[in-house]
Order: sequence, then C-alpha cells, then structure tokens
Amino acid sequence: MASIKTEQPPGSLLPQGPSIVLPGDLLPAPGTRLVTDDDDAFITTSTTAPVIKLGPGLLVDDDSIGAIKAGILKHTPTGNRWWVESNQRRYVAAQGESVVGVVISKSAEHYKMDIGAAQHALLGVLSFEGASKRFKPDIKIGSLVYCRVSLANKDMEAELECFNPTTMKSDGYGELKNGFAIKTSLGLARRLLDPKTLILRLLGQHTPFETVIGMNGKIWVDSESPKKIILICNAIKNSEFLSDTECKTMVKTVIEKL
Amino acid sequence: MSRLDRTRTSPHQLRPFFSSQNLLNRADGSAQFDFGGSSVICSVVGPAEVKIRDEKLDRATIEIVARPLVGLPGVKDKTLERNIRETLEPLILSGLHPRTGIQIVVQTMKEDGCILSTAFNAAILALLDAGIPLKSILASVTCIIDSRTNQILLDPTIEETTHAKSTHVFVFDNKVSISSINPEDVAMDEDSKEPSHTGILFSDSTGLFTEDEFFECANACFKAAQAVHGFIRTAVSKKLEKEYQQTRA
Repeated sequence: MASIKTEQPPGSLLPQGPSIVLPGDLLPAPGTRLVTDDDDAFITTSTTAPVIKLGPGLLVDDDSIGAIKAGILKHTPTGNRWWVESNQRRYVAAQGESVVGVVISKSAEHYKMDIGAAQHALLGVLSFEGASKRFKPDIKIGSLVYCRVSLANKDMEAELECFNPTTMKSDGYGELKNGFAIKTSLGLARRLLDPKTLILRLLGQHTPFETVIGMNGKIWVDSESPKKIILICNAIKNSEFLSDTECKTMVKTVIEKL
Repeated sequence: MSRLDRTRTSPHQLRPFFSSQNLLNRADGSAQFDFGGSSVICSVVGPAEVKIRDEKLDRATIEIVARPLVGLPGVKDKTLERNIRETLEPLILSGLHPRTGIQIVVQTMKEDGCILSTAFNAAILALLDAGIPLKSILASVTCIIDSRTNQILLDPTIEETTHAKSTHVFVFDNKVSISSINPEDVAMDEDSKEPSHTGILFSDSTGLFTEDEFFECANACFKAAQAVHGFIRTAVSKKLEKEYQQTRA
C-alpha cells in the first residue's frame, strides 16, 4: 500500500448509486458522503490534507486519485484505506500472499514454479523448514507446492518460500501430496478464504475434506475418495455466481447424487 | 423520415446494444458486444509470458489479432488491428506489467456495419473483465452522411453505408462523461459550435465532407457515445452484483 498525502480538487465526482467504479472514475472529494456498505464511510473533512492509503485498483494521476480497474470501491475508516475490490483470472504476484504452485523444473539452487502469473516463480531448494545442504526435501517435477510469496516485484521473477520467516516453522506450507487441484478466479479464491463464505462449511457438514486455497486461484482438495474430491471441486466452482440460499440447494442436490 | 433500416425511425437512433462478459473459460477475460446485427467477440490473455523478441523492458507488449467473419485475415483486418492497438496502447497502463504480453483477439461474429465501433466496445469490455489496469474506458460510435438527404445517420447498417457520402468513426473516453454531469457544461457545449473534444481518443473519416459536417458528426456521435458509456457501466455493475452477492450478506 502506498501512503500518500494529497488534496482532492473540489471538482472530482463520486460514482453514482452503489460504489461501483470503472477505470477513469475519480475518488470523491473530501467531505462527500459515500453510498457504501458501512455507514461511516466519510472522507475526512479536515482543514489539513487527509492522509489516505491506497490499495489495489487505485492510482494517483497528477493531483487526483482514480480507479484503474472495474470493481467495488471499498473503504475502512481505520487508517483511511481505500481500494477497489475487483475480480480477475490472471494472477499478479504480491508479497506475503500464499499460493499453490506447480514445479516446472529444478536446478541445483531453485525449483521453477508455475503460479499462474506472467513469469515463473523461483522457490529455493533450501527455503523449507529445517532444510540444510545435506537434508533438503526432494520435490518431483509436476508436484503441487503450497508456498508464500517472499519477494514480488513487477520487474523481476517472484520468489517463494515454504516457511514462516519469523518462526522459521513450516506453518502448513510444503508439498501437497495426493488430492486434486482446480483453477478458479482470484475473486472466488479470496472469497473462500473469508470465514463468512458458506460453501466450504456446507460441504464440510456432509463429507470431511482437506483444502488449500492459493491466492493465485489454484485450489487443492483432498478427501476420502476421488468421487468425493471431484464433487467438492465442482461444488466450489459452481458456487461462484450463486447466492447463499442457492448454494445450500446446490450442495443438497450434489450430496444426494453421491 | 424513415431509414433504410426499418426498425428505426430517427436518424440519431442506435440499434439495440447487447453485451456479455466472461463467456470464454480459457481466456483471462472475454466479452461480446452487439450493435443490432453486428456482433464482435473479444478475448484477452494477459499479462502473460511474451516471446523474447517482442519483450519490452519497461512496459507490456500489446498484440491485437483481428479475425474476419469468413476467410483469412486480410488488409482490412490489419487496419482494424492497427486502429485498435493505437487507441488502446495509451489507455492501458502497460508500465505496471513490464516484460509481459497482453494479447487481444477480436473475432467478428455477425457483420452489419460499424464493425470497428463494435470491436472497440467489445475490446474494452473484455479488458475490464480481464482486470487489465486502464487509465479510462472508451465508447465508440459510427455515423455516415447520407448522399441523398445529406443527413447524419448514426450506427448505419451495411445497406445504409452503400449510400454514404462519408463515414466517420469516433471513440470517446469516459472522462468527459463524468465532467459533463454538471448540466451547465452540457448546455454550453450545445450552444457553442465546437464541442469540447478533450475526450476524443480516435477519429477516422472517409469520403468527402466539410469541416462543419465533421463537427456535427462528432457532436452527434459524442451524445450517442454517452449512451454506450451508460450501457457499459450497467453491464459491468450487473456482473459485479452477481459476483459479490455472497459477500454482501
């Protein structure tokens, strides 16, 4: 998040109706009331220029802030953060995000991983919990690995690691054995990580399963039998454009077929 | 005054729009846009890997591929490709994705005039769907000047184009539509002969016409483009509402 200090020109306009923005729309001027989900979405009216933090989907152009992606304008009063919640299918690596990748090739120092971004990402052979020159995990080409983006820069290939840098523990990262992986949109993956999303809980009520959700839209699922894995994968994919009640009926019908 | 196109009565009437986003599941973004009987489907792949030969160190390489309705791509399609690329290149914030490629494929599905405009509108919807960072969005409208009546006809069909004295294609960005929310500004534009063409991104005219006629066409297309902008906004909003109905609850 880029922290900037800016004064909005008085002429900038707020998007009409719900806070859906398109590229080129400007962020509203200070003091205007916004139509958002939370009622206290005010842009602070102070005599000094407000400090705002911009997240994805917003860009400073000259002296105004405009959207660069189509999505829903979101705001949190704490820290006065603004961002655009948008959906896409192509992953762009961002530092700190957890992703699921496929090993493409390996060399003496790195595994080359496909994380669905424009460039391949590098995973060091020693970036595992307790790995040393003598003891290091051997991961085969084509394996799935759950890892964390340790370095992301638009000009360079992303770098990955399979441990938490503060605790040096694996924290659940590592090779994913068995199971099956599907590719979904980034928006769905993000939503599945939200505990409020019903679909995973609904499926869990009927059949036990393990899942790993990568922010890059790759979702790994493991369950008792291949039949159940396929069913869970299909249910997750189908849930993208359904409401909560529609999800419930959908899960009910697929479970009955089992 | 009835038009050759029997479904319309006014020369400034556009054919019904239709659009659909996210219809191809292997592409990163896709959209279809229709102007009545003209239909274009567009897919976007990117930011993806690019051949070393085409790689640019400071920005994304934008490649447009135009496919005709039938047969192999010819000179006409290459012109279409070039027109779209040169209009989209300054709009796409390609500096945010250096050393990558963005491929946009434009496929004509049905042809009944205004293919360039339809392709522009389909391309912008596909780019929005793919989440490619954009400076602003665009809307395109075509018009002709009828050789028999000297009247400006918006959104002509192929049949109407055969009687055209001149053809004009315009593309406007959405910055103007935002600043013209102030009704006084719009009224001022109507009074003064020369419209505020700050948001004009592309204009292509063929045939014989006077300067006044050109500005008249630009004005008519500008007003019509606002309808297209409104349509694009509704289409995107509808899609977003469907996607986020779970999170809102």
